[in-house]
Amino acid sequence: MNPLKNLSVIRKLVQLTTFVFFIYGGFLGSYYLADKVSGALPALHCAYNMDGADLCTLVPFQHQMDHRLGPIIAQGGNLLMGLMPTLITLGTFLLFFVFLNKAFCGWICPVGTFQELLHILGQKLGLRRTGSLDEETVRRTRPVKWAILGLLVFGFPLLTGLGWLNHDMGDPFCRICPSRILSTLAAGDTSQLYVDTATTTTLFWSLVADFLFGLMIAMALTIRLPFCRICPMLALHAVFRKLGLLRLVKNPSPRCGKCGLCAKACPMDIREIHTEMDKHNVTFEDCTLCGRCVEFCPDKDVLQLKYTVFPLFSADPQYFKVRKKAQTEWEKKTLFGNHAQGVKKSGAKPT
Amino acid sequence: MHKRGTPLALLLLCTLTGAPSWAPAQEARPGASQRPPAGGAHPMHQRGPKQFSLANSAGARATLWKPDLGRIPLAIDNGILTLKGTGVDNYHALVIEQDWGYLVESIISYHYMRGKPSGRSTTELTAARKTRLEIVPQPVPREHHQYETGERWGFQVRFDGRPMAAQTLTLETAHGTTLTGISDAEGRIDFTFPDDFPSLIRGERNRTLAAFTLSTRHLAEGTEYISHLQGEYRPNPRHWRSLGLGVAVAGIGFAAGGLLTGFGRARREESA
Ligand code: SF4
Ligand code: SF4
Repeated sequence: MNPLKNLSVIRKLVQLTTFVFFIYGGFLGSYYLADKVSGALPALHCAYNMDGADLCTLVPFQHQMDHRLGPIIAQGGNLLMGLMPTLITLGTFLLFFVFLNKAFCGWICPVGTFQELLHILGQKLGLRRTGSLDEETVRRTRPVKWAILGLLVFGFPLLTGLGWLNHDMGDPFCRICPSRILSTLAAGDTSQLYVDTATTTTLFWSLVADFLFGLMIAMALTIRLPFCRICPMLALHAVFRKLGLLRLVKNPSPRCGKCGLCAKACPMDIREIHTEMDKHNVTFEDCTLCGRCVEFCPDKDVLQLKYTVFPLFSADPQYFKVRKKAQTEWEKKTLFGNHAQGVKKSGAKPT
Repeated sequence: MHKRGTPLALLLLCTLTGAPSWAPAQEARPGASQRPPAGGAHPMHQRGPKQFSLANSAGARATLWKPDLGRIPLAIDNGILTLKGTGVDNYHALVIEQDWGYLVESIISYHYMRGKPSGRSTTELTAARKTRLEIVPQPVPREHHQYETGERWGFQVRFDGRPMAAQTLTLETAHGTTLTGISDAEGRIDFTFPDDFPSLIRGERNRTLAAFTLSTRHLAEGTEYISHLQGEYRPNPRHWRSLGLGVAVAGIGFAAGGLLTGFGRARREESA
């Protein structure tokens, strides 16, 4: 298969380009906040990386809860004034988000890219990977991202701003975010990988952060996108996903019920993509608009990535055939030579 | 040091309120009031006006440069200068100049202020020529950051907007360190902030700020120019943050991840 006709290859190239751009883009002259691309990027790029081209929207949200909204509520001030910076940040976030929707995850986010690269490494090292997580694990994991968004991005910072929690609770998500460690390490700065003994709170968050970072690396070698499943950005995207111009649509065919290849191809284990028979817009809350389900759907136009009403990429039996073959070939190749390699059970396993 | 025997460093800034700051201790600075730094406050979260005291301020001019390069003249009242917010956020430059005829002295300091988004880059502010002889931070620590001990930061020295090569610069810190360096062909010089905070206890956070002054002098057309860049630096968090432990904990996380995924797979195999 011509790699440039392979959606996954195209996506990887976009991911690598945006990874380099966001991590090292500061050299192009975006050191100060005013020079950043948006200041409210809908993907986890960390503000602690001074060389980066942008920073993720969760940074200003936490900061505004802690230093703006919280204090204004505590002092009985004008609530609207307290909310204004958050509304401006949200507006900026939406301005960008509307264009690509959840594809900020599947195509832009450095943490997503890093996990996918690790997964490729796992495959090339010949590790036995898990095809799809079981339904129960997926079901139990899904609410975690909402809890993190609610508590770590908005709740604790707001309580800190109200004066109920100590200052070190003002940015708890940043304190555990793998992007903080990843983005800075990638830029050659080790200052964010630490155990901080200043207070019990800093000690706690730094232990969680480092543990989570190591955990994510190990898990990503054999499981697809382990951190994404609990990422609060994924939850934030889910809230606004109906506004996005890019979407995943489904025109179910009678064969859908038996096939299910799309669900197996989905790195986020969204089984609903297979079982959903009524909704046209199937951009589910965990979807990253990576397009793998479309690639691995063998039926003409059943799944499509559409930009407003225009199909960008549609399921196609011809494409499916060559793509599947290319995938099998790719998976045979490991650093230890060519051999068929296991992905547990679920069969159609996609990297 | 000064060849005409006049008091040196005719102007001196030290903070009375607001973000803690105090100037390097020096003997020949009459009228200077000094105050040791107060700890704790995050300078970015500082609200309300800051006050500074100025020594020998008669005849001195103070100007506040906004992020959009708009200039506001500030009154110096009995040696006290009050810096109020301008309603826009981002770094502002406080420029104080004193023309003694034979000697022109200036102090520049950068202050982050809160307000409506300025939409302007600090690059514009640093690029603007504010005084004839000027030491320019390249860059100013990004918003919400600070100079830290052990870190290397760049500065450029310019005269009439042009970089000055082979110019001697002196960095003096409130904790008594003096470093000297010479600018390169582009007028650039790097200084590593000395780890000179006294009474740091390993493992304990210290958010104290201390002042530093970077100074240079130049003789042109029979007039001597002295320029200072004043700022604040703080102890490097590495004093209470351990990289080694961080790596170890990440390693434990990695091992746990390996066990978990191995175990998870075994369980799925069983139930399959
Ligand atoms: S869900 Fe994954 S890809 Fe999306 S922002 Fe989070 S880490 Fe990045
Ligand atoms: S549903 Fe499709 S587009 Fe969305 S994450 Fe899964 S495979 Fe990617």
